[in-house]
Amino acid sequence: MIFAILLSLSTSVLTVNTADPPVEEFFASNHTNNWAVLVDASRFWFNYRHVANVLSIYRSVKRLGIPDSHIILMVADDMACNPRNPRPATVFNNANQNINVYGDDVEVDYRGYEVTVENFIRVLTGRLPPSTPRSKRLLSDERSNILVYMTGHGGDGFLKFQDSEEISNVELADAFQQMWQKRRYHEIFFMIDTCQAESMFQKFYSPNILAVASSKVGEDSLSHHVDPAIGVYVIDRYTYYALEFLENVQPGSKKTMDQFFKVCPKFQCQSTVSVRTDLFQRDPKKTIITDFFGSVRNVELLTETLNLQDSTAEFSCSKDKCPEEKLQKTSVQLLSYAKQFPMPN
Amino acid sequence: MSTAKSGQVGRGGTSSDRYMNTAKSGQVGRGGTSSKEPQRKYTSRGKKMIVELKFMYILVRGEEWDDTFNEELFVKPFDSGQALFHFQFTTLWNASTAEPDSFTHYRLFPKALGDVLVKYQVQELHLSLTQGLWRYEKWGYPPVDAPPGVELWVWFLPTASNIDKTWSDLVNALSGLFCASLNFMDGKSTVLPRWSFRPMGLASEYYSFDSRFMRYSALPKEIVCTENLTPWKKLLPCASKVGLATLLNAMKLYDSYYSSLGIHVRPVCRMETCTEQSIELKQTLSVVFDPTISSNGQQNWQLRSLFGQPLSSQCPLASISKVYLDKTQLQSTDATVTLYPEPDEVMNFTRGGEKLTYAVWDIGRQISQHQQLNLALHYNRKIHFGEINPPPVYAQRFITGFGLEKGGITSIIYNNLDTNLTAIYMETIPWFLRLYFSSITITNHGIRVKPYKIHYIPGKDRTRQYQLELVFRLRPHSITKISMQFERAFLKWTEYPPDANHGFYVNSAIISTVLPNAYNYTACPQTSSVFGDSIRDNSTEFFLRLHTETLLVSLPTPDFSMPYNVICLACTVVAIAFGSIHNLTTRRFIAVDPDKKTGLIQKIKDKFRRKKTEEKVPELKASESIDQTKSDIKTKKEEENGKKKGIVVQKLDG
Repeated sequence: MIFAILLSLSTSVLTVNTADPPVEEFFASNHTNNWAVLVDASRFWFNYRHVANVLSIYRSVKRLGIPDSHIILMVADDMACNPRNPRPATVFNNANQNINVYGDDVEVDYRGYEVTVENFIRVLTGRLPPSTPRSKRLLSDERSNILVYMTGHGGDGFLKFQDSEEISNVELADAFQQMWQKRRYHEIFFMIDTCQAESMFQKFYSPNILAVASSKVGEDSLSHHVDPAIGVYVIDRYTYYALEFLENVQPGSKKTMDQFFKVCPKFQCQSTVSVRTDLFQRDPKKTIITDFFGSVRNVELLTETLNLQDSTAEFSCSKDKCPEEKLQKTSVQLLSYAKQFPMPN
Repeated sequence: MSTAKSGQVGRGGTSSDRYMNTAKSGQVGRGGTSSKEPQRKYTSRGKKMIVELKFMYILVRGEEWDDTFNEELFVKPFDSGQALFHFQFTTLWNASTAEPDSFTHYRLFPKALGDVLVKYQVQELHLSLTQGLWRYEKWGYPPVDAPPGVELWVWFLPTASNIDKTWSDLVNALSGLFCASLNFMDGKSTVLPRWSFRPMGLASEYYSFDSRFMRYSALPKEIVCTENLTPWKKLLPCASKVGLATLLNAMKLYDSYYSSLGIHVRPVCRMETCTEQSIELKQTLSVVFDPTISSNGQQNWQLRSLFGQPLSSQCPLASISKVYLDKTQLQSTDATVTLYPEPDEVMNFTRGGEKLTYAVWDIGRQISQHQQLNLALHYNRKIHFGEINPPPVYAQRFITGFGLEKGGITSIIYNNLDTNLTAIYMETIPWFLRLYFSSITITNHGIRVKPYKIHYIPGKDRTRQYQLELVFRLRPHSITKISMQFERAFLKWTEYPPDANHGFYVNSAIISTVLPNAYNYTACPQTSSVFGDSIRDNSTEFFLRLHTETLLVSLPTPDFSMPYNVICLACTVVAIAFGSIHNLTTRRFIAVDPDKKTGLIQKIKDKFRRKKTEEKVPELKASESIDQTKSDIKTKKEEENGKKKGIVVQKLDG
């Protein structure tokens, strides 16, 4: 009896104490929606691993709650339905074929020849032609947290797009500054997995950007392992270990960005993961990973009932309304099917 | 209740699913809290009553709905061992794009597509995304014909203005809707075919002969993969959760010989009297599997092995849910086959002079009796590949010539019928293959054939494609050959795609003709929307459209690594030349004794000698200068000796 009372008291005390941290976290990050721009800039079958990289991140981001309408996925070449793929409609990031990262409900927004530097910068800055459909636009606002992930072949100060053009770190920094001036983001997390990746974020000068790169200037990012059935490398080291970390993250996880930065130490990655936090105002130790990889769903439960009117009855063709309109509409004209073959036989 | 709710959930995407879930959980929460207030508490029995009343209401009003949905599967095993599975999902709606006010209150018709049709004033839209080539000689004629890649042809409303701009906006909207690069269908790759693509639905005669209202474009290079299937499935009323669409597993569909997605929108007669029009949306998916490959040489197949799972549900929103299997060729061979399960109905009928037998299964009945429909076909003998009778008319096309300067295109059309046929042959050739109109020849076993009509629009560099339409006669039991010559152009170096050495694609040619009989013909008749109506088809002529192969042409392609090579080479040459001249002009030459041996050992010895002389020098501080001059004299003497013996001049850095 006494023990039960003590238990209930202690649990009530605990509930009182744990009420404050959730409230703090609720208001910690000021973003209201999440977007992701995932870019694979390499073409050709031997760059299979870059497509597997970007699809792995796509899968994690989708699993943690960002919907397809908020993801811009750019894949420069088709690996899944490539005639060289022994298992069509699948892309694996592991030789033991555990996860098909291509999935059942993938939606690629920019594919093939559409993945160009111009399209990428237009997507970021929002300067797209008026006929561009919604699924190809980054409709972010000043309260959006955006995850930008890029992978491909890179060098000191540039990233190669499809073997024919490059984007330089200055261009990228200017694009982010344009976004800042147009208030198109609240915070950006920039993740890049290429050789000499650090150079890509060295020129950033806009606030609220947190960046991580898989290698320092002068170092190469290496790929992880070969799938003998396909004959090419299937994933890069940094993304492989990042994905391992992300697979253990659930939508309600409290893991921080700081833990994410420690993901691939030198003995695993053989390149040094470098991080840029000086432009970021919050402390990465207190920033949770789902701020960028997941999606904010602040749900409020109402206890009051709402009475909704049955509006379907109004629009149905009731006897007093419609016959007049119908009379106006019907012009007694016999319609016929068009003749398919216009030539005389 | 489940029917209405499943309809709503099915139409939404993943995001709306989540919103629905949160709303539901909210309701649950509310139920929990409101249990404290006894007045507002609903018993579970009361809830069921309300739900049943709503269900009855929906059923009663069901007959008054403006739209209907049918799902059908047509199966045809071929003599060559493969089997065709043609899924057809048809939605009919009492609305018309000519009256945008009627295009409201979407129920079964997908809103995403409907909004696009209304906004861009589309009367008819035909889009196909295909992977693979349809083998006419082995498989006959498909229910819906499509070339490899993407093909889009659209008839706009007569009231549409500025059709070029509307077309480019429409193409962009569709590219976002279907995740395909349709935005490349710009003015450079769009043509206005004059005779080949008449409207398939209701149209006035004046309108259908005016091709200014229509646009045609094809992209042979487009790939089709799961990313195109996903949005296509989301347009279905039941999505891929229940009904025939549950069989659509991308990993199996794209591991096939031929896989084609189609969207066909056209106005049709609402009733037999045909005074009003409805809009018909036909979503088709044709896939040709080879069971011998997937099941270790066994020709037997079942739905579970081909699609990964049997059919275990019926879309409750569908009015007709049926599976048809064409047994005609199975009966004619000496093979005895068993169909499992027993068909609900076997229909024997004639269509266009051909006797056909279809086995029909009603999905609803099968699922209510057996909980699943795992259609299976068992052959009672081993595989036997015999000679296959080709269809009446089929064609082939290929590139001729050699080298990178000139080339030719040749098409061969076979006519196996007893009668003359009139055929329309349409070609669209990109501008960089400069066609010579004078080289277009049509021959029939060596005899030159004069075409009845020719429609030719020459291409313009970087602006327009070459467009050719020929109308000519196909003699009975003959082979007609059409050939033309072209010259390959040089492109500017920025116009090459990133994989320039792959080559450039040429659209497939389109041959339209009318057949007098329905041998191997499986397409729906023009006047009906449902596949099952082909059983009652009593037309005497059958319109046929064939697509030939697409062509892959190499253009003279520069070596794109040359700028890098040239820079390296030039820099090396400059470094060597400049370096040498710099050396020659700025260095001082000093004579060297050739007897003096140079080498590593000698250098070490010299160093030791210098050390010894250095050690000696501090001792002789007073007479340093004298010794130095003495050593200088010595070296000078040595040099003079060296000069006499034949000088070896050694360069020293100046």
